Amino acid sequence: MDFKLSEDQEMLRSLAKDFLTKECPKVKVRELETDEKGYDPQMWQKMAELGWLGLVFPENYGGTGGTFLDLVLLMEETGKNILPGPFFSTTVCALPILEYGNERQKAKFLPQIANGTAIWALAVIETLGGYKASEIKASARVGDGYYIIEGTKLFVPNANVANHLLVAARTSEQAEGIAMFIVDANSAGVEVEVIPTIAQDKQCQVTFNRVEVPEGNVLGDVGGGWDIVEFILDRAAILKCAEVSGGCQAVVEMTNAYAKDRVQFDKPIGSFQAIQHRLVDMFVNAEGLQYLVYQAAWEISTGFPSRLHISLVKAKAGEVYQRTCLDAIRIHGATGFTKEHDVGLYFRRVKASEFAMGDSDLWEERVAAELGL
Amino acid sequence: MDFKLGEKEEALRKGIREFAQKELPSECFCLLLEEESRDEDWKLAMSISKKLAQKGWLVMAWPKEYGGQGASYWEQMVYGEECGYWGIPGVAMGVSGVAWVGPSLMQFGNEEQRKKYLPLIASGEADGVWCTAYSEPNAGSDFANIQTRAVRDGDEYVINGQKVWTSCAHRARWCWLAVKTDPGALKKHRGISIFMVDMKSPGITVNPLLNYYGAHIFNEVFFDNVRVPASNLVGEENKGWYHLMHSLASERHSLGPPLYGNARRLLDELAGYAKETQYDGKPLSQNLGVRHMLADAAVEAEMLKLFNYQVTWELTQGLIPIYGSSRNKAFGDQLLERIGIIGMRLMGTYCQVDPYSKWTKLHGIIQRVYLLSPGISIAAGTDEIEKNVIGQFKLGLPKSY
Repeated sequence: MDFKLSEDQEMLRSLAKDFLTKECPKVKVRELETDEKGYDPQMWQKMAELGWLGLVFPENYGGTGGTFLDLVLLMEETGKNILPGPFFSTTVCALPILEYGNERQKAKFLPQIANGTAIWALAVIETLGGYKASEIKASARVGDGYYIIEGTKLFVPNANVANHLLVAARTSEQAEGIAMFIVDANSAGVEVEVIPTIAQDKQCQVTFNRVEVPEGNVLGDVGGGWDIVEFILDRAAILKCAEVSGGCQAVVEMTNAYAKDRVQFDKPIGSFQAIQHRLVDMFVNAEGLQYLVYQAAWEISTGFPSRLHISLVKAKAGEVYQRTCLDAIRIHGATGFTKEHDVGLYFRRVKASEFAMGDSDLWEERVAAELGL
Repeated sequence: MDFKLGEKEEALRKGIREFAQKELPSECFCLLLEEESRDEDWKLAMSISKKLAQKGWLVMAWPKEYGGQGASYWEQMVYGEECGYWGIPGVAMGVSGVAWVGPSLMQFGNEEQRKKYLPLIASGEADGVWCTAYSEPNAGSDFANIQTRAVRDGDEYVINGQKVWTSCAHRARWCWLAVKTDPGALKKHRGISIFMVDMKSPGITVNPLLNYYGAHIFNEVFFDNVRVPASNLVGEENKGWYHLMHSLASERHSLGPPLYGNARRLLDELAGYAKETQYDGKPLSQNLGVRHMLADAAVEAEMLKLFNYQVTWELTQGLIPIYGSSRNKAFGDQLLERIGIIGMRLMGTYCQVDPYSKWTKLHGIIQRVYLLSPGISIAAGTDEIEKNVIGQFKLGLPKSY
């Protein structure tokens, strides 16, 4: 048992912090909310040069051979700072390519991701908005050497700038008759529309009108698509929770600083127990979330992921982030309610992260099942 | 980073599990037994203390010369978790013998005192049972406000005053007592000293205080010209506050693992109950509300587990986990209270039944945790005091009281 990060991990973390502070200040975050693309291509290229985009790829695919835990630490930093753009969406598509892709697919797609030339988006959920195989209605019919995909996907992150989409579509009526398709986002029949969200984070509706996809672009086995979705869900949930954990830490830190600084009744408001104990609760919950994330991430890194430990984290993260932000706004008073204050930037991302990769209900249900209920 | 316990710890866990299954009477469900209340429970607790001593577990953390095994912090943590899970009685030697008096004597007692008192605790015998007397009618959270006086008289001190909420005083052979030795000290913290007092001394009166459900856990203790040998002063005169703060900080961490063990056991019991209990034609475990309540509590139990790991890890790094220990105690208290509330809800109308009556479910454990949890979150520092510690020492906020 060891709670210490390695020197390399400490360095990754501090480099990430420095980079984000410099390249992605809050003024940039705000700018990107109203930017059409929602990300900064120059920053993206620098992230590629830092090795972030291929962090967990082996070197022969242009990566740096990092662990999943390393990736989680990086996500935590992006959560602290807020990093708009397709880093998460691209990463959660890269992981299944690495795991399930054949040699040709890996050699073709992974180096493009690592060097920053390809942006990916995961297209699974549909109108009901959940992660159940039965909710997948998009169909993939067999043509002559290709599949024809038809259907509508919702809440596809960053599809507006993606070069490739990783799409779950039904190949048979059987419950698990699903395959994952690598779809060129510029294919004829792909229509992308940005959904206006509270987080202004460029989640999209993607419509597939008779889109032809070469047979060779099936990832893994036809009919094994849902296993891939589950593989993605477990890892992506932890990555998302790492981002949330970072966000919680940042919010607690700014609120603690404010409570020491802001004077009322001739005292810093942090000296009042109504404020101090609230801050303590915020801090302790954020810390607990952080350890839950680390535990699950470490287990994934060692190759022995625990279904219970993964599910626990995503079941809790949304609630912690929400409570942390609401309490932070309360402690900041009316200042925290303004457009100019950073706390609102975090609060507006609470629901986006809660509903990304399965909502709290889905994961609580998984925890219950793991308890034998 | 590494989240795996070693083979040695896992072997210990297995050993304790076997011990619990073999030695705990099957007709009695020991979890959260208020062992000092009923005579038959106390007898059981003392018999288990002795067996734990024989196993070498009772004071496993202590050095071999004082009856321990020099167990690692990780082994102590696992032992705490398992004792909590199985509800093994008799692990504490009253209140604080194991967790507190021993370590404090090792830290700031003298060799003569160690030789006399430590083996008594380590033996698991009745003469090694302690109570701790800090609180007074006007000194609860504001502990430095104590008024009980000790005045030097030749080779003795003469003690007068009153203590309250003294758990286990009616079972203890010894009292770990905080008194004022310099009431004129400029700062009230500076005039406090620690004494070890034989509970058989003339002038000591123990009055039972029953708690709100009739259990006899704590007491009032009156000291009327009680004479104590000067050699029973622990550490330096008037330095008691600093001695205590030091040993408190290093010993509070022992509270977290048993709380985690309790929580895990209660959740397992409740999950079993939900599966076996039919309501409206289907098991309670299929009720979405029930599933989510238990899942939420399980998440928090996992947080407590990791908090315990983190504090234990700090100890292995030679750090004193002042903040972490307070965090774990307050977090664990709140978790236990919450599980009690959830459990009562699952029991439905049976939750109001006396825990020892024939109508009770799950051996009355849910009523007991529900009734006991407010006491747990007050004893050894209220949650509010713990949050003050965290606010001041971890978040760097100004003193709030």
